[in-house]
Amino acid sequence: MDSGTISGIVTVVFILVFIGIVWWAYSKGNKKRFEDAGKLPFSEDDAPTKQGDKQ
Amino acid sequence: MEATTYNYKVVRQFAIMTVVWGIVGMLVGVTLATQLIWPELTYGIEWLSYGRLRPLHTNAVIFAFGGSGLFAVSYYIVQRTCQVRLWAEKLAAFTFWGWMAVIVLAAVTLPMGYTSTKEYAELEWPIDILITLVWVAYALVFFGTIAKRKTKHIYVSNWFFGAYILTIAILHIVNNLELPVTLTKSYSLYAGVQDAMVQWWYGHNAVGFFLTTAFLGMMYYFIPKQAGRPIYSYRLSVVHFWSLNFIYMWAGPHHLQYTALPDWAQSLGMVFSLMLLAPSWGGMMNGIMTLSGAWHKLRTDPILKFLVTALSFYGMSTFEGPMMAIKTVNALSHYTEWTVGHVHSGALGWVAMITIGSMYYLIPRLYGRESMYSTKMIEWHFWLSTIGVVLYIASMWIAGVAQGLMWRAANADGTLTYSFAQVLNTMYPFYGIRLLGGVLFFSGMLMMAWNVWKTVRIGRVVNDAAIPQAVHA
Repeated sequence: MDSGTISGIVTVVFILVFIGIVWWAYSKGNKKRFEDAGKLPFSEDDAPTKQGDKQ
Repeated sequence: MEATTYNYKVVRQFAIMTVVWGIVGMLVGVTLATQLIWPELTYGIEWLSYGRLRPLHTNAVIFAFGGSGLFAVSYYIVQRTCQVRLWAEKLAAFTFWGWMAVIVLAAVTLPMGYTSTKEYAELEWPIDILITLVWVAYALVFFGTIAKRKTKHIYVSNWFFGAYILTIAILHIVNNLELPVTLTKSYSLYAGVQDAMVQWWYGHNAVGFFLTTAFLGMMYYFIPKQAGRPIYSYRLSVVHFWSLNFIYMWAGPHHLQYTALPDWAQSLGMVFSLMLLAPSWGGMMNGIMTLSGAWHKLRTDPILKFLVTALSFYGMSTFEGPMMAIKTVNALSHYTEWTVGHVHSGALGWVAMITIGSMYYLIPRLYGRESMYSTKMIEWHFWLSTIGVVLYIASMWIAGVAQGLMWRAANADGTLTYSFAQVLNTMYPFYGIRLLGGVLFFSGMLMMAWNVWKTVRIGRVVNDAAIPQAVHA
């Protein structure tokens, strides 16, 4: 197999992996899961804490 | 017994040192800019000569300033988004003292002239080993904390931090494989063009994973927090993560256009660099669009100004980078001041500004306060930084293009039109403007130090921020 064929195969594999990732990220079944993850920084008390140990 | 509080101590230590090393690193930068105009500035003292201070500057700003900032935010974010206290806190303390030891050793050995001569990896082998130990401890603490998280999902920032920690470990070890001759001298295991390729595979990924991926992790947490709304598209951030990290790995050869590197490798580097534009801009848009519906906040909130301006500079430099990787453009730009301008549009505009904004968010929270001592001073800092960066990069663009054009100009008989000294002479006014920009940026950092000092003085050390007890399964 010459290097041109290998390049071609690798390129196709990479494109398929990319399409797979996009499909996975945007599939309906994963919508809620990613929305939940996006809310993680807000799922706790936001205010700067008042409890300090020492001056 | 299960911990009910977060570990803020190590976060606080790193946050304060971020400001300290920022000032040190940028002061060395200003010194170098001055030396380019007045070479006799340091009276010919060898320890302060340009060639020795230059690696000190790059190491200090990247690994001391940027590195401390990343340790601070990654420890903070991983705890808060996993809702658990850090795992292996003694190791976390070791990463702080170990990293500080690395920085001090660098500050001693580089001016003394000890160097392995690899750009951004100049430190000699005993320090390389210490870096490796600290880094392994960092990885254990970080991934250990993720493993014991109470939340179901791993927030996207942690994905970015995880990729950065893992990749930097590989890059550091592979590029620094060397044969020690004495305690202070070693030789690279690689030779010739292989050595160059390994070095720039490392060098570009230091930019890609240390200065980009990791700081994107910072962006994905602090922009939503400061804007008060979740990231514009979490799904886009997933695609952003995988495509950015995958493509960055292959862009290194663009540092070696028109060298002994095989043509196919040069072209590969160019093509992958061009592709990088897509994930880079996808991430930038994702950050900026997070503000939709909250644009008015930009008018009054200088912290948000820092974060969003950082993203704008990120967009600019990630457009400029792929353009410069095109072989024909590179033929003009490489080895000129244009490269220096490009690096600083990324380093000052993106890395420093996103870090500064994040520190202004973080520091009051680590000291039990609602906000920094002076918001007005943050506003001043913002404008000093922005004007400083613009002066810096605009002068270097003009200088670089002029330099490139003058170097390639040839007379009818094939001889060069300009001597090296003539080109250098043309640079002086631009070096002056660059120095002015650098001084402005540096004075903003001094302002920050004052503001942080006042905040710390009136604040209280917070060692026990409570972990929310309601577990979100």
